[in-house]
Amino acid sequence: MSTDRIRRQWREAGGREEREGLAVVGKRGNVERLVAVDAAAEQRGLRGGLALAEARAMDPALVVVEEDAAADARLLEAVADWCQRYTPLVAVDAPDSVLLDIGGCAHLFGGEAALREDLLARLARFGLTVCASIADTIGAAWAAAHFSGPTCVESGKERDCLAGLPLAALRLPEETVAVLARVGLKRIGDILDLPRAPLAARFGGELLRQLDRALGREREPLNPRLPAPSYFTEQRFAEPIAREEDVLATVARLAQRLCGLLERRGEGARRIELALFRTDGAVRRISVGTARPLRDPQTIRALFGERLAALADAWDPGFGFDLARLAILAAEPAPPQQIGLGANDDPAALDELTDRLAARLGSHRVARLVAHDSHVPELAAAALSAQWSTARSENGWADFRRFRAAVALPPRPLRLLARPEPIEAVAAVPDGPPLRFRWRRALHEVAAAEGPERIEGLWWSEDEAPARDYFRVEDVSGRRFWLFRAGLYRDLAAPRWFLHGMFA
Amino acid sequence: MPADSRLFEKSSPPFRAPKNRFPEDLRRAVRRLEGRPEPLDEAAGLLPFGIAPIDQALGGGLARAALHEIAAASEAEAAAATGFALALAGFSAPARAVLWVAEEMAHRESGAPYGPGLDEVGLAPEAVLVVAAAHPRDVLWAMEEALRCRAVGAVVGEIRKANAVDGVASRRLSLAAARHQRLALLLRARPETQPVAAATRWIVGAAPSPKRALSAVGPSAFAVRLVRNRHGRLGSWTLEWNRAEHRFELAPTHSQPVAAEIVDRPHSAAVA
Repeated sequence: MSTDRIRRQWREAGGREEREGLAVVGKRGNVERLVAVDAAAEQRGLRGGLALAEARAMDPALVVVEEDAAADARLLEAVADWCQRYTPLVAVDAPDSVLLDIGGCAHLFGGEAALREDLLARLARFGLTVCASIADTIGAAWAAAHFSGPTCVESGKERDCLAGLPLAALRLPEETVAVLARVGLKRIGDILDLPRAPLAARFGGELLRQLDRALGREREPLNPRLPAPSYFTEQRFAEPIAREEDVLATVARLAQRLCGLLERRGEGARRIELALFRTDGAVRRISVGTARPLRDPQTIRALFGERLAALADAWDPGFGFDLARLAILAAEPAPPQQIGLGANDDPAALDELTDRLAARLGSHRVARLVAHDSHVPELAAAALSAQWSTARSENGWADFRRFRAAVALPPRPLRLLARPEPIEAVAAVPDGPPLRFRWRRALHEVAAAEGPERIEGLWWSEDEAPARDYFRVEDVSGRRFWLFRAGLYRDLAAPRWFLHGMFA
Repeated sequence: MPADSRLFEKSSPPFRAPKNRFPEDLRRAVRRLEGRPEPLDEAAGLLPFGIAPIDQALGGGLARAALHEIAAASEAEAAAATGFALALAGFSAPARAVLWVAEEMAHRESGAPYGPGLDEVGLAPEAVLVVAAAHPRDVLWAMEEALRCRAVGAVVGEIRKANAVDGVASRRLSLAAARHQRLALLLRARPETQPVAAATRWIVGAAPSPKRALSAVGPSAFAVRLVRNRHGRLGSWTLEWNRAEHRFELAPTHSQPVAAEIVDRPHSAAVA
């Protein structure tokens, strides 16, 4: 895979098409060893794991490139994403495999063999050398693909086909394989009929577990890279599309289909994702969230319109997209009348606005203020994404007002700095308010001050902060600030002062 | 003026001319096409301060369906300007949402909106939607979108970057505010030189609070200058915020001339 990646890079950079063998090297222990070799190098007898010095002796013309594990992982993930065109259940099996659960999908491509052919042909066009096998179990398919077994393991024939493959095909740690080889067990067939208990005692439970998984005696779950959506629909294009209007028209068409489905189930979408498969294999994912369950195709189209406008040049269509898929990642029950009434309803109008703003600016940037039950000023209020906090509830402010009235809370600033900013302050008496202070290089003479209001730190918490004495001060020109001294005066050698907020 | 007539409880419905008033209808259509503001008495409403000299200067009150620019006298006084703007926003839409759109930079530099403090200027925090944007362009876009929304009563847009609002952008906002009968306020961190198509332009600074008790901070006070007004005179006043009743009051003239001097300043001086 690494050599394919490097060849692809060379081709893109400007046609360095070399006949010589290509090998990727990395440090293993203290020795530079070959990590991957291409077909040409393989013909000359080079194999992964060979020391570089040895390989150079065998093939002086060998082209050597440093390994880049991160780039390989990225390529594998890109391939996995691309494979989503066949099935939503795709898992990455590092370092070099992708697992596809094609149960129920194969007939869409004309059967399992045809699906495999299509996949191999397309990947070969991207310049990737791929082995693929289809089997009932993950283990059997993995073994067949890695050790040139049959391309399609028939149902129930796993045992026969695995018997001839080496034990490494069972996805075992290298040490286990080596130990097994030392006692003369080389092929899977060698252990198939051995008594299980001594095997487990001698070589560990992993051996039997992998064997059972490969033979289908034990279920092995696929861990998909991306969660499978509850609803999705897709459109393939014979001729790739690239224009924004075409994409949006497709979104509207796909949304129309999904919305019919949603309506039958009485649900609405909260999170929608559009996946665009570019002809060169890259996959673009664009998602929008909604503040209330939504099943109106035109609104969905409008939200994606905002999203595309926000992306502007960043969504590079290249030579066009040949597959568009619209998936609903999160759906919630929505009674039918809610959407019908939406047009005359103020909260609904506000939610629509929220969705539009969030689609363009990002969900976290459209926030509603929420009161929290905390005495620490910066924790007492928070801005939460408006799409995920309920619009019509009062968000805790009624409780806050009751609390404020009950304890006669001193005034709070209008604007609060995200982080209190340190200031240099001079106080007349050790425990008193500052006489003057310097904030952002400007000197403020304090004309009036109120306080202190002592606010204890979170003494029960891990990152315990000292108590703070807050003062509300006004400088000579009338600016009002909220300052505090961190820590009690008697505990400190030099008191530290901070500015936390501004009053109107 | 009685307290209840000061606020307009509900927005008027979008304008629909009666069929039998043809010439008037045509005149309005032309006005709308030309983008001129509705004559004040016909606009969705005026927002009286309840302070005679200011209301006189504004011709009855602040035009509700228009764009107004409010600049802080200096960056350190951003909170005073914010308080003034939010109080106006609160007046204009007592029952509806107020959108506060700001550059992220503004939240970092001047502090983020703090719910418990919003309550102090008479704006219910549950009615406020805080929108942050990375770029002034996005702030302007979000303001325009919000002005179109039925559920929004007022929009406050905070742009720190100097010269980021040109004539075209402010004109768009101004037209959107007039068409949808909503109050739009542009909040700036310092007075701008670039002309903006706003109905009025204010420079708001902090003023020393009246000392009612010895060495304690009194109610918030604002030094307010009206430096541009399409419909009337300019002026400059010192206002006090009445926390209990949520309204502005003219600062009482003290034995020391704190406010009195400023009130009589000629317009040209106020502009400079």
